[in-house]
Amino acid sequence: MSKTEKVITSLQGMGYSSATPALHPVAFLLVTLSYLVCMLSVPVGSLSMLLWYGLYPIVMSAATGCDFNRLFLKSLVALPFAALIGVFNPIFQTEGAFRIGNVVISRGWASFVSIIIRAVYSVQVLLLLVMNGGFIGFCRSLRKIGMPSVLTTQLLMVYRYLEVLLQESLDMSRARKARGYGKRNFDLKTWGTLCGQLFIRTVVRSQNIHRAMLARGFDGALPAYNPGGGVNKVSFKDIAFMLICIGVFAAMRLFDFSKIFSM
Amino acid sequence: MHMSDALLSAPVAIVADVVAASLLVAASVKVKKDSKENIVPLMGVMGAFIFAAQMLNFSIPGTGSSGHIVGGILLASMLGPWAAFLTLSSVIIIQCLVFADGGLMAIGCNIINMAAMSTLVAYPLVFRPLMKFPAAGWKTMAVSMLACVVGLELGACMVTLETAASGISALPAAKFLMLMLGIHLAIGLCEGLATGVVLMFVGKSMPSLLHREESKRPLNRAKYRKVLIGFGIAALVMGGLLAFFASSDPDGLEWSIMKLAGTPDIDAEYTSLFSQGTATVQSTTAIMPDYENTFSGIIGAFMVLLIVWAFCSLLMRRKTATVNPANGGNEPREGSIE
Repeated sequence: MSKTEKVITSLQGMGYSSATPALHPVAFLLVTLSYLVCMLSVPVGSLSMLLWYGLYPIVMSAATGCDFNRLFLKSLVALPFAALIGVFNPIFQTEGAFRIGNVVISRGWASFVSIIIRAVYSVQVLLLLVMNGGFIGFCRSLRKIGMPSVLTTQLLMVYRYLEVLLQESLDMSRARKARGYGKRNFDLKTWGTLCGQLFIRTVVRSQNIHRAMLARGFDGALPAYNPGGGVNKVSFKDIAFMLICIGVFAAMRLFDFSKIFSM
Repeated sequence: MHMSDALLSAPVAIVADVVAASLLVAASVKVKKDSKENIVPLMGVMGAFIFAAQMLNFSIPGTGSSGHIVGGILLASMLGPWAAFLTLSSVIIIQCLVFADGGLMAIGCNIINMAAMSTLVAYPLVFRPLMKFPAAGWKTMAVSMLACVVGLELGACMVTLETAASGISALPAAKFLMLMLGIHLAIGLCEGLATGVVLMFVGKSMPSLLHREESKRPLNRAKYRKVLIGFGIAALVMGGLLAFFASSDPDGLEWSIMKLAGTPDIDAEYTSLFSQGTATVQSTTAIMPDYENTFSGIIGAFMVLLIVWAFCSLLMRRKTATVNPANGGNEPREGSIE
């Protein structure tokens, strides 16, 4: 499967959540942001505090009905870059952090593991956020928390036309491959012509779209489409969920629960 | 260049998010006010174009490797800087949310590093003053390369600054900066080459697209002179700061070797002024854990995670056996690839 095909596959089914989302998208967005703020403010060396934050993705994936094992595997995508940056810590920070029996583990290794864990957690909560309300839900919550309509309209437009244009670039790529006698990449001149063609087709398409939109009463902002009615108002359940989550994250940040095990 | 959440401390991420959000709001207001005809659909489809074009790789002459376009300068020369900023930001947001490329808290940093630096800094200060369409091929190529290199190098500087201010990576800032600048010089040259080729093609086959921005060019150059003077002062200040950076930590590697050899000065663990600042903020907000006896704590927390995970997956298995299948409730829409 080529890269483009993979991207198209992961796009499909990402935008629209068929079921009514379990929680209001705005509540979920705020909870996710507060999770990230609390989790990222944990001092780098403090592994024991950080590990507790792993509870949220596990519990939430069970609560929203998505498979945690899949979520975990998907979150590993963040590893290479985090490892690349974190790998210098064991070299530069050599003083001891804690002991396992007689072996002293250095601060550098502790912070390296901490960077990896942070990366994995943050991708997990991000995926949970998008899986709950879908991309469209995310745009609706952005609109609700006061981001300008130009931005949300822009996001929705890019999202909707992404698949169409990706398909077009996939077709071009295949046509080129079929005539390329085993050459994998385009030379710059061919690439320029093809990319320029794609570009001009894109612009012509956008003009057609704009005319069609005007004919249907477009007033400058797309309404964020809400399939199946969805949830529109923040309910008591959402507020309770928000308060509990934020309280728990703050508690995890302020108290090291691992002390219970150290006593 | 997509930064992940793991490399940033909360204060740095929040500050960058606030700056990026204000820039986005300003850009939205500007676009709404400026565009007589509706530019929004064009921006939307152009964002999708940048995505699609990134899937087409070209081979870099003489190296055997391949590159793709990033698109800041290309977008700005067709849409204008603010609209291009919005478009590129939306691409970054979608990359983050749909493909988990870069973190949610780091989105502000990513928008500043990749979108703002190329469309709001490199385009108005480098590309626009030097370029006037229609232009000769070589000139288009040279100016695009210069503008792309400037945009990317500024982005690379910002990445280093944000990483140093976060104080999470122990890599000395000066070394990291050198590494980033070197890599991004190469990337910038390729990106500029690609941008130049596409601009030349568009200039030949649909020049009206480039005139959209060209017609907005102000007649007097005095305004630019002011901007250039401002830019010069900013560059001096930045240069001073960077020099300070470099002199406070002359050679990161030597310093670390000294430390490895057992010099007592272990307190100098943070390398930059910025990270010291954020470290003090962190230490006032944090209850610093004692590092001596926490291994049992780590094991304890890890055990709890394992137990909860096992419990939840048991629960899920029962749920999926009774309810339904695949995909975490998200049904794929119709339509297949082939």
